[in-house]
Amino acid sequence: MRALRKILVVDDDPVVGKSFDRVLSEKGYAVITARNGEEALKKLAEENYDAVFTDIKMPGMDGIQVAERVKARRPWIPVVIVTGYGTADNEARAEAAGVSGFLHKPLSPEMIEGSTQKALLEKDLAGAPATATETAAMPQPTAATEESAWKSVALVFAAPFVGLAYVVALPFIGLGMLAWMGAKALVPEKVARFLKNIALFFAAPFVALAYTIAFPFIGLGMLAWMGAKALVKRADSE
Amino acid sequence: MQKIYVHPLPVRIWHWTNAFGFVALIVTGLQIRYVDLISLMSFKAAVNLHNWVGFVLIGNFFVWLLFYLFSDKIKVYHPELSPMKHFRGSLRQLQYYGYGIFKGDPNPHHVSAYHKFNPLQSVTYQIVMLLLVPLQFFTGILLWDLKHFSGAVEFFGGVRVVDTVHVLLFIFFVAYIFGHAYLGSLGHTPTAHFKAMFTGYEEVETEVERGEPAQTLT
Repeated sequence: MRALRKILVVDDDPVVGKSFDRVLSEKGYAVITARNGEEALKKLAEENYDAVFTDIKMPGMDGIQVAERVKARRPWIPVVIVTGYGTADNEARAEAAGVSGFLHKPLSPEMIEGSTQKALLEKDLAGAPATATETAAMPQPTAATEESAWKSVALVFAAPFVGLAYVVALPFIGLGMLAWMGAKALVPEKVARFLKNIALFFAAPFVALAYTIAFPFIGLGMLAWMGAKALVKRADSE
Repeated sequence: MQKIYVHPLPVRIWHWTNAFGFVALIVTGLQIRYVDLISLMSFKAAVNLHNWVGFVLIGNFFVWLLFYLFSDKIKVYHPELSPMKHFRGSLRQLQYYGYGIFKGDPNPHHVSAYHKFNPLQSVTYQIVMLLLVPLQFFTGILLWDLKHFSGAVEFFGGVRVVDTVHVLLFIFFVAYIFGHAYLGSLGHTPTAHFKAMFTGYEEVETEVERGEPAQTLT
């Protein structure tokens, strides 16, 4: 059964909470907001959350104090500091409190989604007690189970080809990683970022070309997939 | 309406120089190609103008290239490395252009300074600017001095091959200019994107105007 993961967003600016909600709710997360530290701690005492995002500057308790309190009670919950201007002092305090990371405003949907996934991954890797709550409103996934059965059959047949592709790719990936690590050790960060930007820039038309060639097949594939799903559904209902 | 600065000055200079230059190349190119059908200018004048404008545009291309290579706006031309995200975005955009736009649906792509192209524009510009335009310049240079570049022309299969590639790209660019102008008229007003290419500022609907929660986040 699927479970909703709950994210607590603490910020006195309601726009931030709305932003998180807008980005994450469509990805299957439940976003709960709190306007200050006290309200956040109250909510944390009442319910379990999978991650906490908190602003630093808020009336009353600041975000780092929130992080300290959360970490003291439930160290497995990842806390991410959201800030417009990070001072070295604040960052040092936050790191000492054990926060998982910083998110610098202005925020983009990619930043929100990426940092949430990162925080949750960290929590999962740390083997935290399961806190995800299952939604009662969620329909029983009979169709999903059937779909996953189809998927697993398809995956079984695809497995040898995927495995072969991995085996062929492995030496290149290994060499690439070695080159990457060597370059990272030798080249200063600024130069490395510059070179990465340029490499991506010149790789762009080839990736674009590959996407363009693949696009009609993806479109046809999706049509076929939707058609097959509709047929299976109709057969089931009959 | 919120204003976002998405077209820096070098890009605007490059864009308009490119636009007028391409029109000049198309006109002179047609004159060169269809010398018996069109008589806008003499053949010699058309060839000279075509060559000069071609070199101006090659220089102009480097204005664009160097600006992006040495500015953080280079990210605008970075590829989307997640195919899933790319194809999902492309299909959404395609649905919008083909259907949603006629129902008054909002554009699924929201412009920002580092994310000004939707997935379809992104792949188009990447291919056009980094493959097709350089290829057109390259074939143009070969055709400009066939004697001097005879070795390279020979290597690519002779004048006919080089000329065919140049003309096919010319046909593509003519179609592209019409498509580009049409899509440019699909802003919140027909002239909004054209104005933005002069001022640098795109006018973007706020979340409240779109009736949605915040998109341009904090």
